[in-house]
Amino acid sequence: MSELVDAIANIKEDEVLRMVRHRLEVGEEPIALLEECRAGMGIVGERFEKGEYFLGELIMSGEIFKQAMSFIEPKLTGDVRSETIGHVIMGTVKGDIHGIGKDIVTGLLRMSGFEVFDLGVDVAPEAFVEKLVESGAPILGMSALITPSFESMKNTVTAIEKRGIRDRVKVIIGGGIVIEQVKRYVGADAFTRDGAEGVKICKEFIRKANK
Amino acid sequence: MIEETMTPQERVQAAINLEVPDRVPVLPMQTYYFACRHKGLDGYQMVKERERALQAHLEVYDELGGFDGQVIPGISFIFPPRISGIIAEPLYKVPGVDLPRDSILQHDEREILLPEDYDLIADLGWNAFAEKYYSKFNPRPAQKILEWGERQTARYIADIRVWNEHGVPVYKGGEVFSPLMFFSMFRTLQQFTFDLYRRPDRVQAAMDALVEDFIQDAIEEVKLTGRTWVMLVLERGGCFYYPLEIFERFEWKYMKKMAEAWVKQGITPLLHLDQDWTLNLPYFRDLPKGCICEFDSCTDIFKAKEILGGKQCIMGDVRASLQTHGTPEEVEEYCTQLIDVVGKGGGFILSSGCYVPVDAKFENVTAMIHRAKTHAPAQ
Repeated sequence: MSELVDAIANIKEDEVLRMVRHRLEVGEEPIALLEECRAGMGIVGERFEKGEYFLGELIMSGEIFKQAMSFIEPKLTGDVRSETIGHVIMGTVKGDIHGIGKDIVTGLLRMSGFEVFDLGVDVAPEAFVEKLVESGAPILGMSALITPSFESMKNTVTAIEKRGIRDRVKVIIGGGIVIEQVKRYVGADAFTRDGAEGVKICKEFIRKANK
Repeated sequence: MIEETMTPQERVQAAINLEVPDRVPVLPMQTYYFACRHKGLDGYQMVKERERALQAHLEVYDELGGFDGQVIPGISFIFPPRISGIIAEPLYKVPGVDLPRDSILQHDEREILLPEDYDLIADLGWNAFAEKYYSKFNPRPAQKILEWGERQTARYIADIRVWNEHGVPVYKGGEVFSPLMFFSMFRTLQQFTFDLYRRPDRVQAAMDALVEDFIQDAIEEVKLTGRTWVMLVLERGGCFYYPLEIFERFEWKYMKKMAEAWVKQGITPLLHLDQDWTLNLPYFRDLPKGCICEFDSCTDIFKAKEILGGKQCIMGDVRASLQTHGTPEEVEEYCTQLIDVVGKGGGFILSSGCYVPVDAKFENVTAMIHRAKTHAPAQ
């Protein structure tokens, strides 16, 4: 493991930024630094999944990565996007302005190689449907903290059905209060109260779709 | 029905004292929104039509067959008579004003405080800081803020009186945030998390300077209301959010200090432990006897019993979604499990996990209450 990967994995902000700046100054390839930063973030995601890291580390590592990218990105040339393993639309549903759960899963999905379109909080069913159509994403993740949001989740699934794209979209719902009965009520394909488990479910969706 | 030989207060106090009451007490948390919705009031009416809402609350309490008291009598706040206590309450988005009319009050988390405010609070203490910089939180003139706070407290006391006249005890007499929860709400979760990593000493200095003022706020609130429970709002210091080293330094030492100070004053700290605290449970064994650890279903309450049984009273935790989308049979089954396992040997109060949701099914809330009245813990 390089020093930079290690520093990101261990949430050492000052060291990461010092190393990135120095290595760019001495002419190292920015793409190599980018890959090391991504590798460090991957370790953060793994540690979160194992219960060794918590939300705080996810938030802070995301910030460190963002800052590192602010130095690396201007030096990159051409298309440097990594291969994505799949696309996911994420959002907190209409009537609910809480974004923490959504942000956790969005961060973890990105660390795992997904490309995520984060629509934010208080997202109307039509907005989810439009983004699904426009992007062709095969997975929709909806988050909620409060129980009245289940109605919005159900309305979103109904809107997807009406648009005729339900058979190509897998729907996963999440939040600390979600249970099997809610999944059935909403008409979702899966539910989770655990961000890391949510990533596994999304990977499984992609694996089955690619069969 | 189990034969009742205790009053509701005696039953609840027995649980707090870790004794075995005549039956497990049941205290659904905050039934106001649920009751109002059940009676056809929308979110705006719940907030703005207080008399009608209070009437709905009382009627639904009776229709549920009554329970062992109201932890929270309505939606008014309790404040000490000074600006620092009033502005420490986080901001809300209000149905019909900032949100659709039929939604519920939701916290409006914004970056009100800046990193340099840690230093100012560390130098001045919270009360003096708030006197000087209150307009960061609320742009209205100080006198208006004080008058609003006074009205809130008067309403809270009036609500207590109405419930007492209805024969129902009210328990909560004060409420404050833990320092960590306070800064997290007013810096925002993200910024506050950055602070914990970038400027931990400054955060700690501010918390050290602020905690005594929060302790005193709660003591004054209890004096004003005559109710002896103080709700300490905790959520963001537990293992869902941070590792144990952060919990130890920025949450645990303050929550322990607050609980100890209040218990010395004869106050019952109601630790409102939203989200997952399972890894933090062993610490709570060192809290003074006489606290209530209230869980919202994210913490493993059965593990809590293993670790805290005989040490702390446990309260909870019928999951909100079970109340809204479960069946009465499923609620009864879960309550039976709670009563049998967590209620065994005493020290347990059956409750909703956090507040009763606005859209809970009436028959599910009834099932929870009924189970406490009919099922004794298996011995």
